[in-house]
Amino acid sequence: MLNKNKYDILNSLWIKTKRSKICPPKSKGSHLFSFCKDGKLYVGQNAKRNFGRIGHMQEYIVEFEHLTKSFPGVKALDDVSFNLKSGEVLALLGENGAGKSTLVKILSGVYTRDSGTLKVFDREMEDLSPKSAQELGIAIIHQELNMCAHLTVAENIFLAREELHMRVLNNRKMNADAKAILDELHINIPPDMIVGNLAVSQQQMVEIAKALSTKAKILIMDEPTSALTSKEINDLFILIRQLKNQGCGIIYISHRLEELEHIVDRVTILRDGKFVTSMNFADTSLPEIISNMVGREIKEKFPRTPSKRGRKILEVKGLNAGRLVRDINFDLYEGEIIGFAGLMGAGRTELTRAIFGANPKESGEIILDGKTLHIRNPEDSIRAGIVCAPEDRKKEGVCVKLSIRENIGLPNLDSLCNVFGVVNRKKEVKMAQKVIEDLKIKMPTMEVNVGSLSGGNQQKVVVGKWMARDSRVVIFDEPTRGIDVAAKVEIYNIMNELKNRGIGVIFVSSEMPEVLGISDRILVMCDGKITGELMIEEATQDKIMEYATHFDKKIG
Amino acid sequence: MEQTKRPNIIRKIFSIRGMGQVLSVTSALILMCIVFSILNPNFFSGKNISNLLRQVVPILIIGIGQSYVLITGNIDLSIGSVVGMSCMISATLMTRGVNPWVAAGITIICCIGMGLVSGLLVSKAKLPPFIATLGTMIVARGIAQIANNNYNTDAIGDAAKGFRSFFYYGSTLGLFNTVWIGIVIFLIFNFILSRTRTGRHIYAIGSNVEASKLSGVNVIATTTKVYVISAICAGIVGLITTATGGLGTMDAGNGYELNAVAASVIGGVSTLGGQGILLGTVVGAFIWGVLNNGLQFAGAPVAIRNIVIGVVVVVSVLIDIIARTGKTSKKNA
Repeated sequence: MLNKNKYDILNSLWIKTKRSKICPPKSKGSHLFSFCKDGKLYVGQNAKRNFGRIGHMQEYIVEFEHLTKSFPGVKALDDVSFNLKSGEVLALLGENGAGKSTLVKILSGVYTRDSGTLKVFDREMEDLSPKSAQELGIAIIHQELNMCAHLTVAENIFLAREELHMRVLNNRKMNADAKAILDELHINIPPDMIVGNLAVSQQQMVEIAKALSTKAKILIMDEPTSALTSKEINDLFILIRQLKNQGCGIIYISHRLEELEHIVDRVTILRDGKFVTSMNFADTSLPEIISNMVGREIKEKFPRTPSKRGRKILEVKGLNAGRLVRDINFDLYEGEIIGFAGLMGAGRTELTRAIFGANPKESGEIILDGKTLHIRNPEDSIRAGIVCAPEDRKKEGVCVKLSIRENIGLPNLDSLCNVFGVVNRKKEVKMAQKVIEDLKIKMPTMEVNVGSLSGGNQQKVVVGKWMARDSRVVIFDEPTRGIDVAAKVEIYNIMNELKNRGIGVIFVSSEMPEVLGISDRILVMCDGKITGELMIEEATQDKIMEYATHFDKKIG
Repeated sequence: MEQTKRPNIIRKIFSIRGMGQVLSVTSALILMCIVFSILNPNFFSGKNISNLLRQVVPILIIGIGQSYVLITGNIDLSIGSVVGMSCMISATLMTRGVNPWVAAGITIICCIGMGLVSGLLVSKAKLPPFIATLGTMIVARGIAQIANNNYNTDAIGDAAKGFRSFFYYGSTLGLFNTVWIGIVIFLIFNFILSRTRTGRHIYAIGSNVEASKLSGVNVIATTTKVYVISAICAGIVGLITTATGGLGTMDAGNGYELNAVAASVIGGVSTLGGQGILLGTVVGAFIWGVLNNGLQFAGAPVAIRNIVIGVVVVVSVLIDIIARTGKTSKKNA
């Protein structure tokens, strides 16, 4: 990796240009004494005139050297070097826990580094704060939405940068400016709309607009596409290419590796807090990237075990639960995984919540092993043997402030407590130990908060806490969202193992390759109804998409 | 088909954020006034209305202070004790011969100090607001007690006649001075909250403190500010109390903090933060005042009045929480 600054580069050109040796400027004022453009060397006055165009030079605009950061119990970054050029899209890749989030949070001023140097636009920086990072031209679009739900779109965009007119808020100007930015990005949202009333994908677009409105030259995008529809993803990529051409440097973090080829120039890979490699995207391939991320070869992206269909476990008849669950009928057999595919908003999560008892049912029957169940709440469902790993891991899957042991024990307290309700600590520890071993959960000890684990390990806790029970049906709702490749495979293996043990598995996912890779049978939902059923042998992405867009015809 | 077009001004009023709740509470207020005026024909007499307005102002002012804190998602339990502290400090100084206006100034400075302590405990030391202001509540009450060596003060004397007239007994242009003070305080603090950057940040912190921090909002400074504002409001109410009674009483303001929360919550300020306007607090204070006044006139004993007001407080907070969690549990498919 180059550690030369431009003076070294220019001095190495000295021989070619036959000019006198170039020295760093002694006078105050512009940093530039001379620079290269289009192969020509500009010195002195010409350099000062062209100072503004430095962005096109493919210079390093961010440089980290020997970056180290530790948190209690874990070394998040260990002697990492990292750089970003202007006008490039750099994919920052690595497993969950590799240190990507930590690195970008240091760059955006949320964390302070323990040691190491940081240069932004070739100037050495002390510790940054969110505000000073913003003033430098660094903007970050977070993975989890960071919007104030009670404020309007314009108010969120200009938060902490409000336009004042004689010490008073100039709402008219802010609304107009916000409208201008939104129009420029082809985002069709009125600036005076309350953010809390927007859909998640719209909120994500507002976050993007907010980051761009700061006229940032260094843009960090952390999983920007996870909540977006494909049209919005397309719009986003067009935008990214525009920004590239304007000289912005973009750090792009994503686990959706298939998206990278559309926009990415270079790839930097971290593993376990250490720098692994940095390559041009064109010079490498996805398998090579993955094996660098993981440190070993992943032979099979989707481990598949054959399905031996047994007896019928679950029968859902005529289920109605609101606008998004209408007249649902399906069966689930032992030894198979059924995948629910469909667009966002098709009603799959609502269906799982209705089966699990989290949402009230209007009508319909749920029959487990031949017995009709009366489920009014999740407790009934769990007791009957239907368990669920919900979509929103952090909010609904685990208690982030409780320890791993406590989370695993929580739904199993009936078997861990004695008649007086006192918890048998030894039993609880043994149960947690078994789950941790079986699922290979990576953690310092079982006493740490689940909130401090990486996404993949958190998901294992979500699933693991059900493993100690004799469940008949396990529902997985978007289990691999925001999880790295290796952890995904481990989750798939868990699903396969459940299948082989004769436990019914319902698998909801928006990633079609995943649904096609793991399910034995696919049910496609659209707008609250099941519009298609495909056995895996006959299923293709096109057929799924066809069913997924099969909306009710509105007769005019 | 006939279409009735809503006149523009009504649409404009409805579009102001938070007005929906305020308007529904206003109609409840009007209903209450009608009921009480039936029970007691003297209710709408000029004298009663005048007195009612003057009674409402103290609760209105500390309601405003408490609303500022509530909108950031915090709470100030010490506001009642600071009223007592302010009353005792000002009266003690005045009975020692200090010029009443100088005494008032010193009192407000002491209250600002108290507000800084509460504010820094919550924002910098990251104590939960409930605990932090419970502590300052006890400390402030203690200061009120030792201010005059554990006795209520003597009468503050004739030198304070101007002071007493300004804060309580005098009237200007037909309204009691107290009412004018209330109006001015409302106008100033409403302006700050709705039209300045600090006000915007107050709502932002209450809505999502993490997002605010990451956007560069100075959460520590803004949170401290709201506690100082709350303490200033309490200080002013303490001065009004001194002016009213003409002496300092150690248990002045006892229980005011919950009345302040009641006025705010009835008026639409959410205890979870991020929501509510000061106009709502005004209506809430009036509902409290009308209840108090009406029940007093109807001859209800103090105990009944307390029970009724207590029930109204609990019911308002309950409705607030049901409405908030109902909204936030809307699932985005």
